[in-house]
Amino acid sequence: MSVPVTEIGFESRQVNGIGLHVLKTAKFKTITLVVLIEQALSEENVTKTALLAHLLKRATSRLPDSLALRQHLDYLYGAVFDVDVVKKGERQILQLYLEVPHEQFLSSEERLLEQAVQFVGDVLTRPYLENGAFAEKYLAAEKESLRKRIDSIIDDKIKYANQRITEEMCKGEPYALLVYGRTADLPAITAAGLYQYYRELLAHNPLHVFVVGDVERDQVEQYLARHLQVERGEPAQLPPTVVQKAVGEVREVVERLDVTQGKLHIGCRTQISYRDDDYPALVMVNGILGGFPHSKLFLNVREKASLAYYAASRLDSHKGVLMMMAGIDVAQYEKAKAIMLEQLRLVQEGRISELEIKQTKATLANQYRELLDSARLLIDFTYNGMLSGRRRSLGELLQQMEEVDMDDLTRAASRIQIDTIYLLRDNKGGA
Amino acid sequence: MQSTSFEQIQERVYHETLPNGLAVYLLPKHGFSKTYAVFTTRYGSIDSHFRVGTQEVRVPDGIAHFLEHKMFEKKDHDVFQLFSQTGASSNAFTSFNRTAYLFSSTGNVEKNLEILLDFVQEPYFSEQSVEKEKGIIGQEIRMYDDDPDWKVYTNLLKAMYQQHPVRIEIAGTVDSIAQITSELLYQCHATFYHPSNMLLFVVGAIDPPAILELIRENQQRKQFPPAPAVERLFPQEPAEVGEQRIEAQLSVGLPKCLIGHKESRLGLTGDALLKQELCSKLLLDVLFGQGSPLYQRLYDSGLITETFDFDYSAESAYAYSVVGGDTPDPDRLLETIAREIDARMAEGIAAEEFNRCKRKRIGQYLRALNSVEYIANQFTSYKFNGTDLFRVLPVLEGITLDDVNQRLREHFRPAQRAVSIVRATSTGGK
Repeated sequence: MSVPVTEIGFESRQVNGIGLHVLKTAKFKTITLVVLIEQALSEENVTKTALLAHLLKRATSRLPDSLALRQHLDYLYGAVFDVDVVKKGERQILQLYLEVPHEQFLSSEERLLEQAVQFVGDVLTRPYLENGAFAEKYLAAEKESLRKRIDSIIDDKIKYANQRITEEMCKGEPYALLVYGRTADLPAITAAGLYQYYRELLAHNPLHVFVVGDVERDQVEQYLARHLQVERGEPAQLPPTVVQKAVGEVREVVERLDVTQGKLHIGCRTQISYRDDDYPALVMVNGILGGFPHSKLFLNVREKASLAYYAASRLDSHKGVLMMMAGIDVAQYEKAKAIMLEQLRLVQEGRISELEIKQTKATLANQYRELLDSARLLIDFTYNGMLSGRRRSLGELLQQMEEVDMDDLTRAASRIQIDTIYLLRDNKGGA
Repeated sequence: MQSTSFEQIQERVYHETLPNGLAVYLLPKHGFSKTYAVFTTRYGSIDSHFRVGTQEVRVPDGIAHFLEHKMFEKKDHDVFQLFSQTGASSNAFTSFNRTAYLFSSTGNVEKNLEILLDFVQEPYFSEQSVEKEKGIIGQEIRMYDDDPDWKVYTNLLKAMYQQHPVRIEIAGTVDSIAQITSELLYQCHATFYHPSNMLLFVVGAIDPPAILELIRENQQRKQFPPAPAVERLFPQEPAEVGEQRIEAQLSVGLPKCLIGHKESRLGLTGDALLKQELCSKLLLDVLFGQGSPLYQRLYDSGLITETFDFDYSAESAYAYSVVGGDTPDPDRLLETIAREIDARMAEGIAAEEFNRCKRKRIGQYLRALNSVEYIANQFTSYKFNGTDLFRVLPVLEGITLDDVNQRLREHFRPAQRAVSIVRATSTGGK
């Protein structure tokens, strides 16, 4: 019997210079392992790190091609495996994900947990090599895969617009970089150079392993010590994400593409990030503005003016960038823009009702408690605290949000400045 | 209240059919913080032509989805606002054959359940709010028009199906929704939202007896007329596909290419339908999964990317498989896959491949049971088809290599094949 988890209680310790964080819980039918390697987002390294994600999942010395590797995962009862990169503020996180069923639901004894840890060790410390470097054939193929992935961000118009406004707004800042890198960097990357880069990353950059499931910590630790051995030096000091940035005049950018719906994105700087005391108030501000179906953007752009199907705002907690967005008819651009800007102004002026505050507190608390039922989100919440340099427990964050009052809201909202207004529109009509 | 225990996966489902016909299923999830409830009617986008009693009715395309949107708006309040006050997040979706209303919350479950039951069973529409919704849904339709993954998929259905309304987009078109009136919405609600046509599933941090009592009381308070005699009318669908190839242009990074096979073995229900679905998915995994030699060959030659995937949709009246993804060269991809299918139909699949993919499927099923959303939605879908989500493991375990080889020979007939391609517009790009 397990009791309901009301707090996210990872037990942490160091094993071989690696941060190991284990959460024992019987609520899931699987065991989830996530490995996170931190890198500073930079022009120099962004494409290399993204390419590594592709190469590492391609083959290991024990499973020397993708067919062998994928069939091994099938035998591990369809283990889900992926290596990817994600952007968190001005960090590029190389992320390995593995999920296997818990043995107790299977008819046979399989030592699945140890096999899972061994596989993770294979991928990270025993990759497939030729002549002491990544194999040329795989490098060439994965460069092509990465190129196609970068080219394909245009397929999802909301994501595309989001990336484009970020590039315009944060020109010259690492944050402007697409997390998958730049196609122009690909030709210069060599097998030997990339492998050398990976060795340094593994030896010096912050590295964490998270495990969630019905497991014994000592056992996980033993398996890790057995299968994942790396020589770790002093961890590198990575530069902090720049959050404070003065905003000059508001920039307007219009881009044309063959689309039928306009994408209007308004990028703002809040000057506040996860580590600030005002962060809980900022989360509330974002919720009141555009986080939910009771929020000002949804009610005024969609329900009252009937201008959009989606109208929302999103917050990057590490960079402190707040993005308002809506899909609109381009003929309604000025009208939609005016309503969206007006909603921000209303929040800044404290024109917020008691009901809006009550609803936002309730829905935020619910949203945060819901992450208790997802291994992936449990890990993400804990890691965000570690990465930002300010760990709040779930209870602490909920308490801080509960205590936010009108003064806190207007203080946080008053720091928000509009930086860039971006419209992705069709090819028709005048400029 | 009855209950059924599923030992191997350690779950227990509680069930009761209320006097008004509503089927209620409850699944407590030990250790979970949230509760997810979904209230679903057997009514989707394909139900646009029907007979109620002696009256034959044709309604505009997209009306089931439109009705879903309008259920949230009441005379003096909006349902989203009610859920927000309790902290719940709520939503709804319409598919080809059902409309589902749902909430998830970590507290106030009783209050939220009352809101859910009441708002779905108490319609309120005005001409003015119906007109306003046309602007919102118009933008939803345009959003999908710009989505190449949606376009390549819906075009494939248009190519495969000549008559059946599964070929029509769920949200309808800007023109078809223009014809929707509040009167039509009331009529569709009265026809399809009778409790006997609906299923309520609640899963998560719940105490089944208490929750059931609340649901009973809520339903007892309401008056429902006798269930209307509804006959859904569908056109005769030929076995063959309508078009073998359909192409469109949108701004994409790489062309997209899907291959569909229209199922000819139809009319199954219950475990037979479940078995056909599981057999087909196993077969597709053997042929096209990441552990297949074909996948690796296609990937190594640069013909596919990680977007390459497959699926099988199983309904009694229509079913189809889909395989494909992004590719730099749709024609070469099609040719390679067609050749592989021919070769496989001649040789059959091997025991090793079959056993490997079966293990994989068992693990995938267990993983899916971590998700209360998956459990609720999938359970409902299977129930509507006369089977049970918790029959998956035993049925899967009973599938033999012969079953899958038989599926291989009967599913992939050339006359049943259609192809959908989306390519980049010449004016695309930055």
